[in-house]
Amino acid sequence: MINQQVALLRRELWEHRSIWVTPAAVATVISLLAVAMVVAIGAFGEAMNADIAKIADMTAPDNVRRAALAASLVGNTSVFLIAMWFLIVFYCLDALYAERKDKSILFWRSLPITDAETVVSKLVVVFLAIPVATFAAVVVSHLLNLIIVSIWLATEGASPGRMIWGAVPLFDTWGAVLTVLIALPIWMAPLVGWFLFVSAWAKRGPLLRAALPLAILPILEYIVFKSGHLWDAILTRFRLDAMPIFDGVKRVGANFDEDDMQSMLAENISLISWLDYGSFLTSIEVWAGLIVCGLFSGGAIWLRRYRDDS
Amino acid sequence: MTSLVTARNVSKHFGSLRAVDDVSFDIEKGKIVGLIGPNGAGKTTLLKALLGLTDCQGQLSVLGLDPFRQRKQMMNNICFIADVAVLPRWIRVSQLLDFVASTHPNFSRPKAEQFLSATKILRDSRVRELSKGMVTQLHLSIIMAIDAKLLVLDEPTLGLDIIFRKEFYGNLLNDYFDGERTILITTHQVEEIENLLTDIMFINAGKIILDTSMEAIPESFTELLTSGDAAESARKLGPLHERDVFGKHVMTFENVAREKLEGLGEVHTPSVADLFVAKVKGATA
Repeated sequence: MINQQVALLRRELWEHRSIWVTPAAVATVISLLAVAMVVAIGAFGEAMNADIAKIADMTAPDNVRRAALAASLVGNTSVFLIAMWFLIVFYCLDALYAERKDKSILFWRSLPITDAETVVSKLVVVFLAIPVATFAAVVVSHLLNLIIVSIWLATEGASPGRMIWGAVPLFDTWGAVLTVLIALPIWMAPLVGWFLFVSAWAKRGPLLRAALPLAILPILEYIVFKSGHLWDAILTRFRLDAMPIFDGVKRVGANFDEDDMQSMLAENISLISWLDYGSFLTSIEVWAGLIVCGLFSGGAIWLRRYRDDS
Repeated sequence: MTSLVTARNVSKHFGSLRAVDDVSFDIEKGKIVGLIGPNGAGKTTLLKALLGLTDCQGQLSVLGLDPFRQRKQMMNNICFIADVAVLPRWIRVSQLLDFVASTHPNFSRPKAEQFLSATKILRDSRVRELSKGMVTQLHLSIIMAIDAKLLVLDEPTLGLDIIFRKEFYGNLLNDYFDGERTILITTHQVEEIENLLTDIMFINAGKIILDTSMEAIPESFTELLTSGDAAESARKLGPLHERDVFGKHVMTFENVAREKLEGLGEVHTPSVADLFVAKVKGATA
């Protein structure tokens, strides 16, 4: 059972190389941008009359520097989150469609593997493999960027040890990043289920067939009932910031006072403490979404099992 | 003899179309059975039912299991190659071996490697880089390395040239078939497999119109090459089918004693292809 899932998972990684290529590509691009930025500052910094290392060294107390570093890491991570969103959508649309399009489905079905096991392996990719691959790329990207900046600081005569490595809340940030990376596909679960279902059902053009009902049904609801519940329910799953895991961040944001930055940062900030595990785990929206995902996945299994394409 | 496959009153309807129509037969262990029928006769539907890919009415048992409801268990002991069951084009040969090795309990990787070493297929090639013949060789190498009780081949050599086709059946007979295993083959190229079959089943319009062992064919069927008055006398014996070749008449008889025909012309046993035409045309005439 476990061995079979491992084999199926390997198949997914062979077939859909985008699972690890996408985050690796994002990490590469971000690192190249960081290098370009450092080179640019090196080249034009003097003209700008900005001895950045010195200024930073003098002005920042540890807690502010810690906050600034965390913010830069979060900014870096957001690019991965957006890429992961697209990766999940396109992976799901392809997952049960590609094998029908290239007609290999009967080969896969000639092996003693059930359709449920196959569909479960696709879910494992979305809920586990993609977050883990993305997390690994984020960690590498964070380290690379910090190293690039450290090298630059060192050439400027500042102390990267004190300015960067002594201040950066790496593990706190990574803990928060991993939480959000795991939460994202859970939040997207109804979309994941729907896209998998369409991927098992569509004879061609799964993207269009998946997108159209998401647009048309809310319009019908508006015409018939003059209400927009469906639209809200669908749209919220497209919005990363709507995840209940961010409820804590929203509270922090609501209490944000520009004049009182110092007191806000008086304590060392912790991103993990800003995440709201409680409201995520007790959110009806989260659980309802998982149930919808389960129903659509069941539909996908049923289609793969019972539909006779010929 | 034990039956590997038992079908009793099996039917499969698509709307008003009876793709398989109240069919009953047995396939015994150690046989190589040719399932032969024209396009649209219900061959593929019947095979799909046997492989648990589609549901059907009636009683169907394969290895003592219900193919549709106990599919996974059954697939441990069944292999199939269908012309439509193509290997994924993106996969590498080594990945394919890894995957089958870790998902199929009866797969012997050393055996597959051994079969492959007789071909020009490289381990790190992707399937899309191989010729159609090589893809079939690859598929056959994997299938032959699986210790299965029943092998189902649906038009396995479609689109291959004659050399690959000969090699395919040669390998199957020499390296795979051991008298214990059972093979069910469908193909349009009947002539090529005629001498490796032990049994044949003809299917037409969803019905099995002949189910016999190859040995029994000469006992039941006779082909007569005749002309002139002798042809008239022969016609009175009720040939199943008649065709004209170079001004002579070729008649196929079922259950007519050879001695009765011997005076009327040249008598021999019909080829499977001719017998097939006679049965199908005879049934519709």
